[in-house]
Amino acid sequence: MTNWELIKNGIFTENTIFRLAISLCPSIAVTNSVKNGFLMGVAVMFVQVMVNVTVSMMRNVIHPKIRIPVFMLIISGWVSVVDMTMAAFAREAYAQMGLYIQLIVAFASILARAELFASKNTFVPSMFDGIGMGIGFLVALVILSFFRELLGRGSVWGYALLDFKPLLIMIMPTGGFFAVGILMAFFNWMEQRSKIASDKAAAHQHH
Amino acid sequence: MSRQNTDSMTGMDMFKIVANLMLIYIAGGLILASVYAKTSPIIFKKAKQEKENALKEMIEADSIKEMGEWYPYPRKHAEYYKATTDGKTVGYIIETFGKGYSSYINILVSVNTDLVVQKINVLHHAETPGLGDEIEKDYFKDQFKGKTIETLKVVKDGDLTYVQAISGATISSRAVTEAGVRPAVQMLSDILSGKIKAETGKHGEEGH
Repeated sequence: MTNWELIKNGIFTENTIFRLAISLCPSIAVTNSVKNGFLMGVAVMFVQVMVNVTVSMMRNVIHPKIRIPVFMLIISGWVSVVDMTMAAFAREAYAQMGLYIQLIVAFASILARAELFASKNTFVPSMFDGIGMGIGFLVALVILSFFRELLGRGSVWGYALLDFKPLLIMIMPTGGFFAVGILMAFFNWMEQRSKIASDKAAAHQHH
Repeated sequence: MSRQNTDSMTGMDMFKIVANLMLIYIAGGLILASVYAKTSPIIFKKAKQEKENALKEMIEADSIKEMGEWYPYPRKHAEYYKATTDGKTVGYIIETFGKGYSSYINILVSVNTDLVVQKINVLHHAETPGLGDEIEKDYFKDQFKGKTIETLKVVKDGDLTYVQAISGATISSRAVTEAGVRPAVQMLSDILSGKIKAETGKHGEEGH
């Protein structure tokens, strides 16, 4: 895969939330406003890239028997770096989502990429895989939080847009599940449609 | 991995494992230590500044000094302050906690010298968005002005002598009013009347 294909893979083919359906708990918890969703996405992207890069550089010296504990140590180290940096420079956001930043350590998506990709690939592809997965996660969180904040608060990034009685349920966890479900269905439908279209085109050529 | 594989652990394997972990701990420790050294003074300074600003917003006074500390809940440390202007006491600020629906709600209360509530502010909480988090809104907080120990009670009947519950968030309303603010004012009243002794524990003198 080329670097560009690796990035596309992370955004579309293996999108953490809409295709792989992992790390859903934090995505539901922080996506009740676009700002939080965006910051969480950036934090996760940073951790994913740094973890992939570190693991790929160390992959030949890590003993296979203890690779998972070593990956966890690498992940928690980088998460702590993000945690302290946010506490110092983005205090307002940190007050609201500090807990979830620390929880990045337990994200299935990050360990999965370290184990499935970075431990078998060199520095550059691992970096692009991290960027792709990170952007995919970021985009998913922003889409989710855009709909949830718009419907649940009538605003986007804190700016009031719609003047109506908001659908409170959308900014509560329940609404998070609805939003993930509906968007996932939409992505699947899009994929099926394009598959049917390409099948038809292929069948056409045969005749 | 197969069973056979697990059993065949050589001395070299062990050495590699130990070396792996040592390398990771040392490198990670160094990175974390340098980030911590850079960020912790900033975090500390900003947190202190935020606290001072929060206190200043509570009451108009020349100086606000810590009077003592108390524990609204076991392990929930809070402080209270005396506000003075030209050397005369103009009021007090008490930090307190109230156990809400899904979090401990951290509150500041200011009272005048007659222990009548002047203002409250919600510093931190994790109540339900859209319901419990209405406790942050002015329409709820403004009700506390002029309340005393006797009238710090949550009602739903529209009697303005008392505090009106937020619809859909009675637990959070009660947490602020009856678990947070009222015990705080009660505590201050007990201390000022000498009923209980003020605790100016080690925490105050230690400094930072």
